[in-house]
Amino acid sequence: MNQDAKKLVDSKAVDALLDTLEEGAADKTIIRAGGRALWMARLRGTSTVIAALLIFVGLSLATPLFLKLDNLLLVARQISILQIIAVGMTFLFISREIDLSVGSIYGFLAIVLATLIAKQHINPWVSLAMVVVLGGIIGLVNGVITTRFGIPSFIVTLGGLSILRGGALLLSGGWPIALKLGEDSTFPKLTDGRLFGTVPAQIFWMLGITIVASFVLSKTKFGAHVYATGGNEEAAILTGIATKRVKTISFMLTGALCGIAAGLLLGQVGSGFPLTGQGFELDVIAAVVIGGTPLWGGAGSILGTLLGAAIIGMITNGLVLLGASAYFEPVAKGSIIVLAVLADTLIRRRAR
Amino acid sequence: MTNNGRKPFLELRGISKRFGHVQALQDVDFDIAEAEVVALVGDNGAGKSTLIKVISGAYQPDAGEILIDGRPVNFQNPKDALQAGIATVYQNLALVDQRDVVSNIFLGREMTRGLVLDQKGMAEATGRVLNELRSDIPSVHVEVGLLSGGQRQAVAIARAINQREGMRLIIMDEPVAALGIEETRKVLRLIERLKEQGFAVIVISHNLEHVFSVADRIVVLRRGRMVGVREKSATTAAEIVHLIVGAEHI
Ligand SMILES: Nc1ncnc2c1ncn2[C@@H]1O[C@H](COP(=O)(O)OP(=O)(O)OP(=O)(O)O)[C@@H](O)[C@H]1O
Ligand SMILES: [Mg+2]
Repeated sequence: MNQDAKKLVDSKAVDALLDTLEEGAADKTIIRAGGRALWMARLRGTSTVIAALLIFVGLSLATPLFLKLDNLLLVARQISILQIIAVGMTFLFISREIDLSVGSIYGFLAIVLATLIAKQHINPWVSLAMVVVLGGIIGLVNGVITTRFGIPSFIVTLGGLSILRGGALLLSGGWPIALKLGEDSTFPKLTDGRLFGTVPAQIFWMLGITIVASFVLSKTKFGAHVYATGGNEEAAILTGIATKRVKTISFMLTGALCGIAAGLLLGQVGSGFPLTGQGFELDVIAAVVIGGTPLWGGAGSILGTLLGAAIIGMITNGLVLLGASAYFEPVAKGSIIVLAVLADTLIRRRAR
Repeated sequence: MTNNGRKPFLELRGISKRFGHVQALQDVDFDIAEAEVVALVGDNGAGKSTLIKVISGAYQPDAGEILIDGRPVNFQNPKDALQAGIATVYQNLALVDQRDVVSNIFLGREMTRGLVLDQKGMAEATGRVLNELRSDIPSVHVEVGLLSGGQRQAVAIARAINQREGMRLIIMDEPVAALGIEETRKVLRLIERLKEQGFAVIVISHNLEHVFSVADRIVVLRRGRMVGVREKSATTAAEIVHLIVGAEHI
């Protein structure tokens, strides 16, 4: 072996040795440095589950009425509309946008739907399809104004909140619109009836939408692009992701889901009210945030949002069962939102 | 230029680029062969970033020509350069901190089976690339935001060389500027590994110690002009400093 070759072998061997040493050391540092952050990030996910369990167990112990099957189904039915709209809001939050007009879109579409069915005598299912499309178009407008003109979505949709509420009042003249559907109509049966004898239809709508949305977000390319868009929009653009389109689709999805929510509401109460959904955006945002989707995008999940909606539903229900003043409800909800955001912020700070 | 006798992969001839009344590049010649590391040095504003942006297709030169394997090319945008096998690692790395290593490496070009993401396939491919770079990332499923600076650099490099088949040149603008000693050493090793794998690498750095430890050739820019090209073995740090600041400052 000549001298040069020997040197080569030696340096390679030293290199390899250094490498293994380095890798071992690095492993430990990441486990130490990343360990706490990882642990805290998981804690946030787990904390939603734990909070939901605590409330569930607490209410079960506090009142025997809570654990009754009928009551649990009632809670699930009550959160259906909330969860359906919150699914759309979760897509928006993850892509780092927000829609403050969801309550108004929902209310406006309820009036449009009632008008189509009661005054235009259009088949209720066809009417429902029409308001779902209309909701998508409203979302398209929100998305285009936000992304093409660079106006923050909370401003754009704050405008929408006011405009669409006005639209609902103008269209209805301020009066409720009754559907007057025939006895044999399938519409109330499939939106409010009991399937398999006991389970309210709304729960199937809610679970179906939740499962499909969860699949799209966690298992498809589009879902990955939603996370990337909200996590680091610049990086997403550099790798060729059409972030404006991703955001616009999320707005459209939210609008369309408000249409489905309007359909479920009309099936249940039989009339469209011009003030339907007033202030509802707060409940929707609460469900998303309590469910662990942070305000700054890039993370979160649909199942988390379902837990968030369940927590809100249980609190509302529990306060009623316990005979507490209804005025406690907004206090309780508001406190949990602040707690949830506080948890997110602390974790984000520690993870840096 | 010698290139140790190898045929260059990329050549620039007489490249000029002007911004308003700033002549950012003036008649610059440059070349690089496969399995070669060229360091680009020069003072602030010398034109280093502008030069690599011309190479990566982000800027179009006002004059001069670019040749790949001896054939003239015309890059209208970064996509054209990418197509020709030129990948850029951005200075801010362009990573999504909340997502894991796999998602970042496949960002924007996720593998799918039908409608569904091919998580397994992507994780395996990621493992392979990181192994080739002998990276010390503990798991391909760690969030990138939790990694160290050098590990993040490895993720960005892995993404750059894997964004399509046939990558041949990797460009890095100040890859170690924000790193500590240990992390810097790792990134310099990454560069060596890229070279071992046959990639041409252009590195911008202000640190001559790094430049001398990793580069085969050193190209010096001053006020938009190329004022010197030196084989590492045939120069000294003093000479390079002299070229960087110009004779009038000595
Ligand atoms: N997009 C631009 N518009 C106008 N002037 C520019 C632009 N890009 C670069 N310049 C100018 O061109 C000259 C060269 O800039 P460049 O960024 O290439 O220098 P550099 O060598 O990378 O410097 P640094 O070490 O500070 O990064 C500078 O005078 C700079 O101000
Ligand atoms: Mg620069």
